[in-house]
Amino acid sequence: MSYYMYSNTQEVTPYERMMGSLNGEKTDRVPVNYYPRWAALEYIGATFKQTWDDPDLYVKAQILGQERFQYDCVIDYDMMGPVEEAMGAKLKYPENDVPQIAEPLIKTKEDMEKVKWKLDPRKDGNMPKVLYVVRRLKEELIKRGRGTQHVPIMTWGSCPSRTAACLTGFKEWFLIVARDPDWAVELMERALDGWLQMVVAAWEAGVDCVWVNDPVSSRDCISRDHYEKLTQPYERKFIEAIRRETGMKVTMHPCGNWHDRMDLVYQNQADSYFLGPMDVEMCTQKAVETNEKGLSRVTSLNGNVGAATKSTTDGQTAVPYATTMKRGKPEDIEKESKAVIDIVEAADLRCILGTNCWDVKGSSFANRDAMVYAARKYGQYK
Amino acid sequence: MSILEEIRKNVFDGDENNTVELVKKALDEGKTAQEILDESLVAGLRDCGAGFEKGEKFIPEMLLSSESMKVAMVVLKPLLLEGSGIGGAGKAVLATVEGDVHDIGLELVGTMFETAGFEVRNMGPDVPTEDIVEAVKEDKPHIVGLSALLSNTMDVMPDVIEALADAGLRDSVKVMVGGAPVKQDFADEIGADGWAYDAASAVPKAKELRAQLPD
Repeated sequence: MSYYMYSNTQEVTPYERMMGSLNGEKTDRVPVNYYPRWAALEYIGATFKQTWDDPDLYVKAQILGQERFQYDCVIDYDMMGPVEEAMGAKLKYPENDVPQIAEPLIKTKEDMEKVKWKLDPRKDGNMPKVLYVVRRLKEELIKRGRGTQHVPIMTWGSCPSRTAACLTGFKEWFLIVARDPDWAVELMERALDGWLQMVVAAWEAGVDCVWVNDPVSSRDCISRDHYEKLTQPYERKFIEAIRRETGMKVTMHPCGNWHDRMDLVYQNQADSYFLGPMDVEMCTQKAVETNEKGLSRVTSLNGNVGAATKSTTDGQTAVPYATTMKRGKPEDIEKESKAVIDIVEAADLRCILGTNCWDVKGSSFANRDAMVYAARKYGQYK
Repeated sequence: MSILEEIRKNVFDGDENNTVELVKKALDEGKTAQEILDESLVAGLRDCGAGFEKGEKFIPEMLLSSESMKVAMVVLKPLLLEGSGIGGAGKAVLATVEGDVHDIGLELVGTMFETAGFEVRNMGPDVPTEDIVEAVKEDKPHIVGLSALLSNTMDVMPDVIEALADAGLRDSVKVMVGGAPVKQDFADEIGADGWAYDAASAVPKAKELRAQLPD
């Protein structure tokens, strides 16, 4: 059976479907968003570096990828790098991966003065290139929608803890957390503005929604106490600043295993949560509980088909099978998708079907198709 | 509390300065470097690892413990290497897979392997698969040790195993995998030859695997 169906001609557009779910509303069916970088690049046969060197090629990949796979959101470059680079960090650009920090910029407190904290996204470093991609995506989507933008554009922002860790190096960041929490706070305080300015500029250029993530505060990394006192307040500050400046719906990705702290995560006030490899039932229940207490504003949960692994370091909580997207079969994707839709929607939260980590490089087209197929089959609203 | 127990506790607590002072004192008192390594440093680090598993210790605390061990090893390593005959146990290439910048565990494994007599090429963190294959071609090691701390980078491990097979090198080396999210079932699933819970248990496993290869 082929899951591949070619249709951008439904009555409800991906834009209406995705934005509706972020608002907590039901449209025709559950939308699909798996942060489709590799799906799009693999479809047109380009490497990430090729599209970084040629932004129009990146736009082409996103547009054609969406038309081919029929997911409900496109993304801009969606990566760590342009802000940190403009701050002064040296990046390396692998042939087919996103840029990485070549060498930590901050090794001592004195190095803080070398960092360019105040940035202008329209001028500094490669940030204008990201904005160019957003503008071009917008133009193409409006053109192809015959005057209406039929697919939303999502951008990405780095939580202050992540930015700080990129500037110091991850290992040093964790040592700073242990040895000098005051310095950790100062780093996050100063790191917040660069990415905020980038997200605001992307919004002005035309993005419709944003996701932010923090891969350094999970249970795999720091204690609940460190999270609560150090990094969570800066996640919240970042998310609330984005909402205040742009009014956009914010999705937060707690990357990794956060089972022991989802109550705190939901209190950082994002609208939607792109769940990591966690127990979706427990995450849904926690979201309902914190919403009922008035501590959070969760409208939707995004995930949770296996892209990462089932192994969580607590070794106790059941999570979806490891790398279903890469090594499973379409029927596995369909089964996991159905389970996620059923659990999230039963709690009267909106489900945005997706993976439990970034779109996995090398997943088969059939598996990607199977997710959209599952949303159509099991995610219809009556 | 004996001095070896005291060192163990200081490693667990991540107290670098005290650990070094106590190691020197233990040597003065006639303890051997091997005793201090096994009964204090490795034991302290294992306690810390157990705390990590139970959710009582996290990366910052683990790092402090490993820093304590590292500074203590500056004192102990020359003594340990005196009788070890570097390379006598075999050759090992170690790397954290591409996309993963964590190297705490890798460094510890490297140190433990060296003190156990392995000649080690530690390629560090974030190593592209093709570079690992190239290193295996060049060095002809007995053991390839792959590390990953992130659940989304451990999936690179099977790619490395596949790349070694594609290069015709798979039968000449034993591949060991490790790192916080990596477990025996994952090692079995991806066709690795061995998995170890921590740096200390990686040594006997490496020796066991080495013995399965011809000299």
